[in-house]
Amino acid sequence: MATTPRSGGSAGGGTAQRPNGTSQSKSCQFKLVLLGESAVGKSSLVLRFVKGQFHEYQESTIGAAFLTQTICIEDTVVKFEIWDTAGQERYHSLAPMYYRGAQAAIVVYDIQNQDSFQRAKTWVKELHKQASPNIVIALAGNKADLSNIRVVEYEEAKQYAEENGLLFMETSAKTGMNVNDIFMAIAKKLPKNDGANNQGAGAGRRLNENENNRQTTNCCK
Amino acid sequence: MVNKQESLMAAITFFAKAHAGEVCGSNGLPLTPNSIAILGRSQKLKELRHSNLCQYLDVIRGKHERTVVVSEYHGTTLQEKCKDKLNNDLILRLFYQVASALKELNEHKLVAHNLEPKHILLDAYNNVKLFNYGLFYMTKSGDHVAFPIGNIKYMPPERLVGIKNNCKSDIWSLGMIVAELLLQTQFWPNLKISSISRKILSFCQSSNVFEKIAREHDKLEMYQELDPDLRNLVEQCLAVKPTDRPLPQEILNHPLFVRNLDLYLVTPKEKSSTLLLRMPLEQIYYWWQLAGGDVQAELKKEGLIRSEAPILSIPQVVCLNGNIAGPKRSQSYLMDDRVVILKMQNLLDRLSKIPAMAYYPLIHSPKFPYNFGVGMDQLPLVIREKDIEYQFYRVRLFSRLLQGYPYTSETIRKEAAIDIPPLLRGQIWACLLDVIPNGSYEKIDKFTPTSTDRQIEVDIPRCHQYDELLSSPEGHLKLKRLLKAWVTAHPQYVYWQGLDSLTAPFLYLNFNNEELAFHSVYKFIPKYLQWFFLKDNSAIIKEYLCKFSQLTAFHEPVLAQHLSNIAFIPELFAIPWFLTMFSHVFPLHKILHLWDKLMLGDNSYPLYIGISILKQLKSTLLASGFNECILLFSDLPDIVMENCVVESQKMYESTPKSIAHRFHVVREKELGPFDITPDVTLAHLQKEMSPRISANDLHFMLRNDPNAMLCLDIRSVSEFNRVHLPDSINIPFSNINMDEKSLELLNEPLLEEKMHNRIIICISNVHENAVEFSKFLVECGVSRVCILHQGFNILHSIEPNILVSN
Ligand SMILES: Nc1nc2c(ncn2[C@@H]2O[C@H](COP(=O)(O)OP(=O)(O)OP(=O)(O)O)[C@@H](O)[C@H]2O)c(=O)[nH]1
Ligand SMILES: [Mg+2]
Repeated sequence: MATTPRSGGSAGGGTAQRPNGTSQSKSCQFKLVLLGESAVGKSSLVLRFVKGQFHEYQESTIGAAFLTQTICIEDTVVKFEIWDTAGQERYHSLAPMYYRGAQAAIVVYDIQNQDSFQRAKTWVKELHKQASPNIVIALAGNKADLSNIRVVEYEEAKQYAEENGLLFMETSAKTGMNVNDIFMAIAKKLPKNDGANNQGAGAGRRLNENENNRQTTNCCK
Repeated sequence: MVNKQESLMAAITFFAKAHAGEVCGSNGLPLTPNSIAILGRSQKLKELRHSNLCQYLDVIRGKHERTVVVSEYHGTTLQEKCKDKLNNDLILRLFYQVASALKELNEHKLVAHNLEPKHILLDAYNNVKLFNYGLFYMTKSGDHVAFPIGNIKYMPPERLVGIKNNCKSDIWSLGMIVAELLLQTQFWPNLKISSISRKILSFCQSSNVFEKIAREHDKLEMYQELDPDLRNLVEQCLAVKPTDRPLPQEILNHPLFVRNLDLYLVTPKEKSSTLLLRMPLEQIYYWWQLAGGDVQAELKKEGLIRSEAPILSIPQVVCLNGNIAGPKRSQSYLMDDRVVILKMQNLLDRLSKIPAMAYYPLIHSPKFPYNFGVGMDQLPLVIREKDIEYQFYRVRLFSRLLQGYPYTSETIRKEAAIDIPPLLRGQIWACLLDVIPNGSYEKIDKFTPTSTDRQIEVDIPRCHQYDELLSSPEGHLKLKRLLKAWVTAHPQYVYWQGLDSLTAPFLYLNFNNEELAFHSVYKFIPKYLQWFFLKDNSAIIKEYLCKFSQLTAFHEPVLAQHLSNIAFIPELFAIPWFLTMFSHVFPLHKILHLWDKLMLGDNSYPLYIGISILKQLKSTLLASGFNECILLFSDLPDIVMENCVVESQKMYESTPKSIAHRFHVVREKELGPFDITPDVTLAHLQKEMSPRISANDLHFMLRNDPNAMLCLDIRSVSEFNRVHLPDSINIPFSNINMDEKSLELLNEPLLEEKMHNRIIICISNVHENAVEFSKFLVECGVSRVCILHQGFNILHSIEPNILVSN
């Protein structure tokens, strides 16, 4: 449909749906940001998670893209508001706008590209320094379907993740391997009783420090 | 009328080789289909123009890796013709003209490798044209097809052992063809392929192939009676060692021909009495399609494309490695070399009412004004683009205009404002961008590795890949060269992701003219995106987006209000819009129509495109919160381009220039004291919801169209009484209650009516007051509100005086 936005909040569509849609007691939403070098597969991971699809010729991301997806763990409905950022180093200056106020981040590298792993480490450092202190960070070694030509060893990344308190998985947006799992793992680790996360009025708005009051009188036609 | 002799175009078809089994490359992504690779390579062939070569017109991809090639085709094949005995002069003529075709191919680093009598056409004047000579090249030396290329009978020994891509191999084939004609026989008519190949290989031991063949065919006598010069030349062509064979040029310079050159050169054709046939062939083919011509349908009619029930091709066994067993697709493995003539009658009928004048329109004679197709310009663009007559007029007119460029720039601009014929879009855009190619592209380094290479390489395979040309290996190479060239040519700039999308439309339109594509991008960027590609472009982007917000408030106050309330700032969605002039967010066919208009506007035009997109989504946006809005833009829904273009055009024309003023642009004229002065900083802009207007623009409207504006003077009553602008309304700022957003509180009778459809200019001596007041008006839903830059005082300096007093 042309004009109806995809609503990640309601049941239906997507891959990681809650099995039973009725008796949830709690629901919360989290802002999650994807960071990592260009072409490691950030957009592809989001697309796989949100729509269950993979596009070989996924377009590059300029600025950032926004998507949402709702999953269910135990008795909680978790809505992710996902910011998929541009990977080119030059767009770096925009990144704080997206990770500021994020409760979770997935830092992605490509297992067949050493530089992208180094870049991932710098992102982790930056997040530790600049992002909110309780941020949950996951490290994703993507393109695991190409593990026969990998250059970043699983053990190496695993060790790095442990030392830095990160969740870690190797993923493949192409096959879908571990894609839902990594989001699930994040959701599990996020605090779900924290009032701040509960059904706020669009966490995305926290992008701007100066929150405007919502105008209730809209003279729209 | 056109008979079979005069038919101009024909099509052939074949299957590209399907990738077997493993269909993914080392990056885990699917391999490019061979038919796409063929499509990309074949483009270059369309550029060849030589009187001894059939012009390539089109290459089309069908289903299941089918490739259809359309090219010029007329006259009779040598295969037909040589059923009768040919006289010596004709044989020499043929020898000469085929050599001349080979010389042309060689100059373009091409080899035919499929030279044989059925690929040699002779017209009524016995002019020779090679046909289908590009097959070997377009299939990458045959790599992309499953069948062998070339008739073994005419192949030299070295090709049988796999040596290829040497033009001397074509010389051998030519030698064989001429030898057959001279000896008036067909060699080895009943031999199997394997025997023929053994024969050819056996030539390696022979010192005189020609003689050997003649002997073998009982033609020794005839051989001996040949003109020694001629015999000798054929013998050289059939030398076993390629290096001993002459180059095409050497054949052409041979005394044999030079003696009587006139006999062998191409005879200029009499001009056809059918005007249409005098038009460039690529235009004829374009109209032929518009007249309903469908190449694939023609092939179907001739039984060259047959549809089979899909169930018949279902594999019986599929192995885990991807190999399949089952019925073979009967056609896909066979090469059917039939040639299907494309009939012209329909086109001729459709164009029968076109006046002769329209074929060669006069563009500089007021006595015969050009007025073909008038009235049709009111039809929707999609209809005009498909209308054969209309496209005929447009293509002819623009062909003329393009020939006269740059002297015809003005007219091109004027006509382009009506519409741009798709066939000539690339060239027309270049004119609109004032491109004059100067050979500099060739000199730019596009090969030395640089630090941006990685980014370019990962972006290209993600850039408009749904398009066949852009996804072909040839397309990738070209885009890479263009991007590298652009970066090299601009040491002050860097590659930002998005430059690829921006370049793609130009490459798409000028696939065979990289230089024109390059210069078009080269001119386009400063015109619309000055300084956007600086390493630190944040000041430029911020100013741009700020201006975008202001203009949104100006044209769509209610929407702007809503977006600002939900903190839906352009930084979150509009960067890819503007950085790529929408080429990253729309598919190519939409970009083309959008840019057709963009090219005619100045650097502010894209801002209006942005607003018209918002406008089209207005009702959804107004009913949505932040998340829904941003989701909407992450996956931009269908925007109706035609509306978008009309809307942006309207806003562009009705908005005074200074309202869209930005500091970061290329300026043709220095700014004066009555323009927006450079002391306005980004910080100012960010505080002001409404844009500023210059005293110049105010003055201009006052003189030319005073009813287009309404000046609200918010100074005190006494100041106003002393001196003010004629017809301005005084609403003293100190009396205004802005707590409630209602115009009634202003106590000005009929204010809403007075403001209707006018540009509202807030004038004060205290800038902050004007800013606050303008914001109040926007919040009341008033559109087209702006602030007079430098306030009331600037008006005192305008000479002659425009102010009045009570
Ligand atoms: N084989 C394989 N390819 C992948 C995988 N994920 C992504 N790709 C491919 O890698 C390329 C880049 O993927 P994107 O999702 O565009 O990468 P990105 O990180 O969003 O890149 P930027 O937007 O430039 O920052 C695309 O061609 C994808 O098809 C994967 O898991 N396996
Ligand atoms: Mg991306």
